[in-house]
Amino acid sequence: MKLILSDRPLNIPIQDRDKIHYIDLSSLKIANCTGCFSCWTKTPGRCIIRDDATQVYPRIAESDTVLYVSRLKYGSYDTVMKTMLERAIPIQQAFIRIHHGETHHVQRAVASKKATIIAYGAEDKEEYSIFRQLVSRNAHNMNFEHYEILFTTESMVDDMVKYVLEKWEKS
Amino acid sequence: MGKILILNGSPKAPKSNSKRYAEIFTRHCPDETVYQNITKRNHQELCAAMEGYTDVLFVFPLYADSLPVGLLNFLKTLEANPPASKPVISILINCGFLEYEQNEVAIRIMHFFCRRNGFTIGSVLMLGSGEAILETPFKYIAQRNIKRLAHSITNKDYRILHATMPLPKSLFRLAAQSYWTRYGKKFGTTKEQMQTMEIEGK
Repeated sequence: MKLILSDRPLNIPIQDRDKIHYIDLSSLKIANCTGCFSCWTKTPGRCIIRDDATQVYPRIAESDTVLYVSRLKYGSYDTVMKTMLERAIPIQQAFIRIHHGETHHVQRAVASKKATIIAYGAEDKEEYSIFRQLVSRNAHNMNFEHYEILFTTESMVDDMVKYVLEKWEKS
Repeated sequence: MGKILILNGSPKAPKSNSKRYAEIFTRHCPDETVYQNITKRNHQELCAAMEGYTDVLFVFPLYADSLPVGLLNFLKTLEANPPASKPVISILINCGFLEYEQNEVAIRIMHFFCRRNGFTIGSVLMLGSGEAILETPFKYIAQRNIKRLAHSITNKDYRILHATMPLPKSLFRLAAQSYWTRYGKKFGTTKEQMQTMEIEGK
């Protein structure tokens, strides 16, 4: 299964809806994670905030190929994408494993992923460097076996997404 | 004498480890301190309040490898509503992992924000094993470094500090297993239940 998770609507036709799931986070109602640890210790694998995020994190877990589209802010994902990524912690366990020589959380049934991240809206080149470091950290915690980051402008986002979809088709 | 505003950026601020770290800081700080939680509704008020302080200390946990989204939102408000007189910004960040270095990206994000908005960067304390360290015999390590942090800010001798439990990773993994198993037990959840591979029951 492939997943497109975007923080803004994408104006592109997605042909193969059986194999590609597209989620526009800006159209969903997703509250901030409250750090209650219920998804680890009270209702393992389930968030107690029963909003739209509960439809999204199972998709993240099952997908072996993901495309994340996010605005950058201070070198981080901006708030729409960041809110969802924080709410995805039910797909991990509280318990710790040693992974790539560091301590990280054990994953539940989470597929290894080929990830592409389209990052737009950077206002400063230093943000690229910070974001690269951030995604390299994510790779350990989000089960990315391979990732690619594509920096672009907001006006070019749809074109970049089309480019990635073409690559997916060919692979 | 300086005056330090401590801002807790944890999503569960009133019941957070960050609050406990802030309390230790206050206990050891020679300067006057004022503590506030960052909530959804007090951003403007906190931005205006910064005017009266020489230093601001942000205390927060690492969330998904960077800043908690509530803190990110606060920084956006601060960018749009900067105080005329800008305090020096210091940071006390903690992550649950053993390696304090996992906090480094979040620190880079904070530094970027400060540079971009004309805030001087003060001291930084990066804590590893921050979820549990206060419940262990290694509590003193956190306390000692928070005291150092407080004195560095008071003395304007800003520095970068870090601390974590002095354990091999394999032992830390076992200690974490025991910590979280006890945590789950409080809610009647067994270790096996916490180890489920199911997500949303599937």
